Amino acid sequence: MNARILQLALVGGLAASGLAVTANAQQGGDVVIAQTQAPPSLDAHVTSAQAARNVNLHIYETLFARDENAVPVPDLAESLEISEDGLTYVFQLREGVNFHDGTVMDAEDVVASLERYREIGASSTLLSAIDSIEATGDHEVTVTLSEVQSTFLDNLSSPRAPIAIYTAEQAALGANEVDYIGTGPFRFVEYQPDSFVRLERFDDYSVNPNYSERDGLAGAKEVSIDSVTFLFMPEAGSRVAALESGEAHVVETVDGPSAGRLAENDAYTVHNVLPFAFQVIKFNHAQAPTNDPEFRRAVMAALDMEEIMAISRPDIYQIDGGWLFPNSPFYNDAALDQYNVADLDAAREHLANSSYDGETLTFIVDNGRPNVDTATVVQQRLAQIGVDVELSVADWPTVSQIGFTPDGWHFWAHGFGIEPFEGPASVIAPWVDGVSMQADDPEINRLYQELTTAMDPDDRAAIFAEFQQHMYDDAVAIKAGNYGLFQVSADELENFVPYRIPRMWGVQLNQ
Amino acid sequence: MLSFVLRRLLSSIPVLILVSLMTFALIWLVPGDPASVFLDASATPEQIENLRRQLGLDQPIWSQMLSWYERVLSGDLGQSILLRRSVADAILERLPITLSLAALALFFAVLFGILLGSLAAVNHQRWGDQSIMAIALLGLSIPDFWLGLVLIVVFAVQLGWLPSGGYVPITEDFVGWARSMALPAFTLTVTQIGFIARMTRSAMLDVLRQDYVRTADAKGLSHSFVVLRHALPNALVPILTVTGVIAGGLLGGAVVVEQVFFLPGLGRLIIGAILSRDFPVIQGGLLMLAVIYLVINLIVDLLYALIDPRVRYG
Repeated sequence: MNARILQLALVGGLAASGLAVTANAQQGGDVVIAQTQAPPSLDAHVTSAQAARNVNLHIYETLFARDENAVPVPDLAESLEISEDGLTYVFQLREGVNFHDGTVMDAEDVVASLERYREIGASSTLLSAIDSIEATGDHEVTVTLSEVQSTFLDNLSSPRAPIAIYTAEQAALGANEVDYIGTGPFRFVEYQPDSFVRLERFDDYSVNPNYSERDGLAGAKEVSIDSVTFLFMPEAGSRVAALESGEAHVVETVDGPSAGRLAENDAYTVHNVLPFAFQVIKFNHAQAPTNDPEFRRAVMAALDMEEIMAISRPDIYQIDGGWLFPNSPFYNDAALDQYNVADLDAAREHLANSSYDGETLTFIVDNGRPNVDTATVVQQRLAQIGVDVELSVADWPTVSQIGFTPDGWHFWAHGFGIEPFEGPASVIAPWVDGVSMQADDPEINRLYQELTTAMDPDDRAAIFAEFQQHMYDDAVAIKAGNYGLFQVSADELENFVPYRIPRMWGVQLNQ
Repeated sequence: MLSFVLRRLLSSIPVLILVSLMTFALIWLVPGDPASVFLDASATPEQIENLRRQLGLDQPIWSQMLSWYERVLSGDLGQSILLRRSVADAILERLPITLSLAALALFFAVLFGILLGSLAAVNHQRWGDQSIMAIALLGLSIPDFWLGLVLIVVFAVQLGWLPSGGYVPITEDFVGWARSMALPAFTLTVTQIGFIARMTRSAMLDVLRQDYVRTADAKGLSHSFVVLRHALPNALVPILTVTGVIAGGLLGGAVVVEQVFFLPGLGRLIIGAILSRDFPVIQGGLLMLAVIYLVINLIVDLLYALIDPRVRYG
């Protein structure tokens, strides 16, 4: 086989967060993290909820993981060979990697885990290009694709619903039935589903020898603390109180005024995690008049993004129309002249040419404050051009069920967080086959197909620019801006660097 | 008495059936299911459907309802979709927290409510009466979530005397339990004292105007003896009624207080189950709450006979 060999192990440490664990680091301590929601499951395969990722990525690891810049790098894989035709991936696994139950990882565990994910994974489409998975050695796994997929490593390393490696025994169990045994730097201890999860340092953890430093979700995961407890505290005031009374060391997210107050106190560090997500306003293309591009253009022209973001995400937002985060290598400025025009006269012109007939339109939104604020600002703004919008506020399960049907809504606002972090294909994917707007858009389907088969990064960048242009030209959906989180850590917790999850490797607790 | 209790227990069966039917109707009417909690906003309908199948949510509602009743009749409330344990276990783990919180709050609310209400009545239309009633009104008007947060800021953040939240089981450490319960129980107590104080005052004022009280006073008995021995026992019936109502209300109030003080009680369990559409837990939890309400009502009815000899159950 005339193969391209990726000596990926050598890249370790190049893009690390720059904070290696020093020899005299403080050892021990029990860190407490206050987070908003409880994870729906600790079976990493079956949930793509952020609350679950925060915990699960401490227990489990994947073959490839995202580095500090969200680039896929080896984690449980030692190296990878990709065949010239791009269809065969041969993974050499790291040897001597221990599971929390004392067994040592081999190729059978990896095959069983990938097969389980294909069957029951929450994002099983990540592996939809796979034709076969075989153990071709004790520590070698060969994956054959049915068609070329340029994003295969992006998919494999996705933290969304992580393609975690379980023991073969655990991988034979059904959804939500596993015993939470992984290879990660922390092992599971106790889970009170509506209260807390407690993890302990896994003393037999096999630190990846190919790295010297923490690097995204990969790298050298050196653990200095004894344990980490995730408390699930939906009440914002209670989370801040837990921090201030010394009962928590990290708060996953606090509101702007609390962040401002805590920033003045030397005992805490406020981290502005920006950008963390997009604020997006979706249209239902299966209903009139939101099926009419002229009407959608009228809405896009009318909106003042500064107003939306300043009200819905005060103090922590960016006015940015790109459909990726600005630090992404695929970020581009295609069609950005159409972003944030806030021109009511232009909007009225588009509206006059549209099929809108004065009817009342429904804006569905979950009861999260920022999304309700977004919907309210849009409602008030559209009233100025004569568009009548009523808000329909419900909880997330209700809204998400309605929003994936063709009836009962015209607008829907929510955040897109993990998609832009993952990269171009993940940003386009929700619009493929009309899933997010309830009507097929052949142009988007074509671009997605081209992007996922284009092996050259420059080609992919050009395709993504075309996608962004199309999103604006047809006003498929509206991106209002980027928003972030205020995370707060107590100063006794050293070397804490925010990422997609609050990582507890590479940190030290001064007691 | 025994036949009365048996009749009351039998008559509660249709109430429980009605509660379970209404819960099923609400679950059926409200859109959404647990799959939406497992997945993010970009999940495709295929992924949602796949997960629904994995979680056993693809059965029609009538089929789920029939199998639920079958299980309940054999004493099984089913398995939680998210908690990885039986609904009965989930409820039994959390019930002691909610019940001990409500019991503590009820005890102090009744104690101080009756004390303050009686003091107000004997000092009728004097500054003592008006001050107590103003405080009672304030207690009634303060939202429990706000009071809880203020108490956390003062006693946990500023003074550092008590924990800001969390729960320590009484079996592990009595002092730890008392410390973890102090602020939530006080929050619930303050918001309920007002009800009992106002009811006690009104009932006591009625009784203090009765001839037998005047007679007792005329006999030369000390006024405090008259109040405690003659007036208060006769004012207890309406106080008991309002206490029964409050006991039920405390379970409702406990939902908010459990959320603020991060107590893993029954209220938090049911709220979490509703938000994540964990149907078996909603069913089991609401059924349990209905049972608690019925038991409280029964106890109140039995206590009537105990405190008022004129009440007889045959």
